[in-house]
Amino acid sequence: MGNSYFYPSLARDAGTCDRGQAAPLHGAYAGENVPNPLPQERNNQVSVMNLIAALESLAPELERGLDQALDLSKLEEIRVEFLGRKGRLAQIMARLPELSPEEKPAVGKKANEIKARLNTLFDAHKHTLEKSGEKAYLTRFDATLPGALPWLGSMHPISQVTEEICSVFEALGYDVVDGLEVETDFHNFQALNFPKDHPARDMQDTLYVNEGVVLRTHTSPMQVRSMLARKAPPLAIVAPGKVYRRDSDMTHSPMFHQIEGLLVDKGISLRDLRGSLTAFVRRLFGPAVGVRFRPSFFPFTEPSAEVDISCIMCSGKGALHGETCRVCKGTGWLEILGCGMVDPNVYKAVGFDEECTGFAFGLGVERVAMLKYGIGDLRLFFENNVRFLGQFA
Amino acid sequence: MLLSMNWLREFVPYEGDAETLGAKLTMLGLELEEICRPFDGIRDVVVGHVVACAKHPEADKLSICRVDVGTEILDIVCGAPNVAAGQKVAVAPVGASLPNGMTIKKAKLRGAPSHGMLCSEVELGLSEDHSGIMVLSPDAVPGRKLTEALALDTEVLDIGITPNRGDCLSVLGLAREVAVAFGLPLRLPQPKTPENGQSANDLLRIDIADGELCPLYQGRILENIRVAKSPDWLRFRLLAVGQRSLSNIVDVTNYILFGLGQPLHAFDLDTLSGGRIIVQPALPGEKFRTLDGQERILEATDLTIRDEKGPIALAGVMGGLDSEVTAGSRRIFLECATFNPSVIRKTARRLGLHSEASYRYERGVDQGIAEYAMESAAMLMAELGQGSILPGVVKAEPQPWKNAVLPFRPQRCSDLLGQEMDPAFCRETLEHLGCEVAVPSPDTWSVTAPSYRRDLEREVDLIEEVARIYGMDRFEPTLPKVSRPLTRSEARDSEYTFWKRIRHWGKGLGLNEIIHYSFVGQKDLDRLGLPQAERLPIGNPLTSDQDVLRTRLAPGLLNILRNNLAQGVTGLRLFELAHVFHADASQETGANEPARLGILLHGDRFDTLWPHQQADAGYADLRGVIEHLLASLHLGKARFDREEEEHPWLSPAVRLTLRGENLGSLGRVKPEIADYYYARKDVWIAELDLDRIRSLAEGAAIRFAPLPVFPPVKRDITLAVPFDLPAQDILECIRGMKISILEDAELIDVYLPEQDNERRLTFRMTFRHGKRTLEDAEVDKQRDAVARHVTATLPVRL
Repeated sequence: MGNSYFYPSLARDAGTCDRGQAAPLHGAYAGENVPNPLPQERNNQVSVMNLIAALESLAPELERGLDQALDLSKLEEIRVEFLGRKGRLAQIMARLPELSPEEKPAVGKKANEIKARLNTLFDAHKHTLEKSGEKAYLTRFDATLPGALPWLGSMHPISQVTEEICSVFEALGYDVVDGLEVETDFHNFQALNFPKDHPARDMQDTLYVNEGVVLRTHTSPMQVRSMLARKAPPLAIVAPGKVYRRDSDMTHSPMFHQIEGLLVDKGISLRDLRGSLTAFVRRLFGPAVGVRFRPSFFPFTEPSAEVDISCIMCSGKGALHGETCRVCKGTGWLEILGCGMVDPNVYKAVGFDEECTGFAFGLGVERVAMLKYGIGDLRLFFENNVRFLGQFA
Repeated sequence: MLLSMNWLREFVPYEGDAETLGAKLTMLGLELEEICRPFDGIRDVVVGHVVACAKHPEADKLSICRVDVGTEILDIVCGAPNVAAGQKVAVAPVGASLPNGMTIKKAKLRGAPSHGMLCSEVELGLSEDHSGIMVLSPDAVPGRKLTEALALDTEVLDIGITPNRGDCLSVLGLAREVAVAFGLPLRLPQPKTPENGQSANDLLRIDIADGELCPLYQGRILENIRVAKSPDWLRFRLLAVGQRSLSNIVDVTNYILFGLGQPLHAFDLDTLSGGRIIVQPALPGEKFRTLDGQERILEATDLTIRDEKGPIALAGVMGGLDSEVTAGSRRIFLECATFNPSVIRKTARRLGLHSEASYRYERGVDQGIAEYAMESAAMLMAELGQGSILPGVVKAEPQPWKNAVLPFRPQRCSDLLGQEMDPAFCRETLEHLGCEVAVPSPDTWSVTAPSYRRDLEREVDLIEEVARIYGMDRFEPTLPKVSRPLTRSEARDSEYTFWKRIRHWGKGLGLNEIIHYSFVGQKDLDRLGLPQAERLPIGNPLTSDQDVLRTRLAPGLLNILRNNLAQGVTGLRLFELAHVFHADASQETGANEPARLGILLHGDRFDTLWPHQQADAGYADLRGVIEHLLASLHLGKARFDREEEEHPWLSPAVRLTLRGENLGSLGRVKPEIADYYYARKDVWIAELDLDRIRSLAEGAAIRFAPLPVFPPVKRDITLAVPFDLPAQDILECIRGMKISILEDAELIDVYLPEQDNERRLTFRMTFRHGKRTLEDAEVDKQRDAVARHVTATLPVRL
């Protein structure tokens, strides 16, 4: 059984190195057809001289045989012929009992000498053969042949960036939460201080299912649901997900991805917001990136701000090789996040104490991915061309 | 909002440049989008003086002019009928380019050399007037740039205004911010309105049905008006902010709207009947023709301005065609009103009628500026229309504006912003913004907001103003401690965490993750024969390709397959994690959003042609992927059973079950459906219930099993099996024997002899004893027992 799992090293000579191509070498047939090493004597009587002559002839014969053995299987045959259990040496030794006790030591001694000599010859040749086999293998080896490439998978760039962003906040102690994509008007708008018939709703062109049910226009309803579920501070969450707007052109997609963050606790201030987002932005874009906060408006935060980072293309200079930077359009800044201190009306809507303090922020994942990977066309994310996807392996 | 630098300087003496101003406003929350130079196209055009003008000897319609352009006198051939000696004209010299893209070159016209062009307004992009060349004021100085001679608004800032800052939708509003930002005084010229004639109140009376809908409606009456073209300064100023000039009267209403933010409307008074203006909701179903000539059917939510006979205007949105000011109008009623913002918004949205007026009314118009705006407009109309203003204002104001009085706690301000804010700075800031500050106690102030800041409603709004003026960018960053209640550590991992695990699995296995839109077209669902009842259509879809939420992942995966095949891709291995949407009346949102994992394999099994034997992906590949997923989640072996019933889009279709739970289905897309998606080879697709898999995976734990000490013994058995007997049944039959030393049994080969109704299946059984080495004889005995049992139980032969 054991032999069938043994493959001689010379099998590698096949070059392509496929397992199992070389025939297994079976030891069992050894000895059957080995020629008798001794001249048949008439009265079947052996003499010391004959035996010693026979022994002494083994070494030159082995040498001649070895010269013919060009591969390891032939070598093994020769080993069996000379050194095997029923090999020529053994056969000569089998005649030993026919000698008188005083004759035996001389022949025995000679036999041991010859056996050692044969082994030495054999090992030397085997070594030579192995070396030349290895040399031949190396000669035929071509490192430039292609590999047997396993499938190369990829995560969508949006998933990768989402994961990267979430992990920054997870490390800061935020929980990742999820929510509904089809939302009530209450959770998507009213609880976030977008009253009905308010122009703030123009900021988000809405796809709806029916009166009172919309495709969520932002990830912010997850804030609302989280606060409603937790009932009281503290809470620190990030909420990634798909969002929907009734908008489709070069720079707008009817579906895209946002990540929302919310921290509500005692004594949280605008400075904390600034610090948290500065830490985040530097983590994502590197420690050298400049961060700028400027006032803005979101119904569910007050004060509200937009966060700009120094342009990652022109390092905030606004120009590249003497031309206006096309990424920041010469301003040196890129809008990356919207944020603010949670508006008291939101606390009211979810039953939190209106004197609570906390901040919220949100960002568009596609925008970050476009900046990070230098992708110029938003539509590529949703065409899912495998030549695009494959680049994010 | 387009802000002309020249216009701004009429309100505030800002001397700096546009870039500095734009940057400053941006940091005040009024984001500069762009600096426009609306007259850049005529920067090369200069004033010329036609010194002499003679008929071209060879052409009736051409004149040969000698034109003084300050530095030299040019010979210019002109074809305009109105050219004459002594005129001041607009000259495009050789080398100048014009807005229409033309570049002026030296030319010879019928033998006469011409070194430039005298321009008409249409050539200068100033109006549609192409009747002749533009004739300038006699005091224009030859050689001066035309943009300077006409005092054109050459620099205009495009400022993005957030919905809360309706007060900044005017030059005045932005001038207030500029004054605060740069510490400059604000100037408002006082209009003089000389009145004469009979009292306006004898001619017209205002009735407002509901003060909630219309807090203020007032107007002026003008007589003996000549409706005419506006003067250049007015025409070109409106042009600079993107408005077409219509007539002196209408242009004044627009000028005041952009300048002061107060929408106005001018009616031809002679078209109104009954001596009464009524402000009330429309009668449902009532028809009304708006200024744009369209007939509108009104609803009770629309607020109308009416006379005795019916509607004359849609309040705050658009006037009526019948009461429009025309060239022959002599008596004008000038309307100046404020309306309930949400009423205006409803009507504008319902009718898709968004005007500059409705845009401002929706965001709240300052009731405090109304009178000033009306007087300024009336004065200008009287002046430009050479008419007179009747004494008195017709007016009804059922709800006079009440300024909001807000508390302000300096300590709360400091707490929220995270640093001590100097109370003196806070007070000064609020006062500069137009607030009145009273300090009844140092802890809580009483702040009265100005009428134009309708967005200041609560204390926090004042805190935001303090932060905004202080500079949002000046607060030093700090990193807060994030505290977590202990119970959070017991919470279930989020869906995100589990999906992340699956995504990494898919990527590692060699699948490409896709993200498809959550919506598809109804026809995509129809093609797969998906039921109607569970669908959630979108109420206002962008296109018919995206008019329903997908109830399965398959339509999206197939769309992506099609996109890729169209690009010449020959092998695809896609996966997607997403929610699908099913109508479900029991949910708060009417939608159920189960999570799904979709997998699609098509075409090439390998990415490379060597050293594999290339083949097409098949059932074994897809099933293997799924088994790999379940194994990597430690979920054990699942059942794969052929669906007995006809599946709408898969054939064959296979049901996946694990511990009795249905985990989804997989199969080959029916060729006639695959054909639509350009697939000429088999498309293998799986759609799995990710919620169930998640629940099962959460319960799965890794338990270590001690490694076996004694060697296994393997025995193969080959059986002739009819095609309708699943291999799984044989394995279960073998395992069902409960042979204690049988460790495992698996299929290792399938041989399909030609022209036979049986196949040869080879199974390998692994025997092992936990406490000793097995002997051949006892293993052989068990193998024979298996052979006997299987052939006796199932229709199979050895």
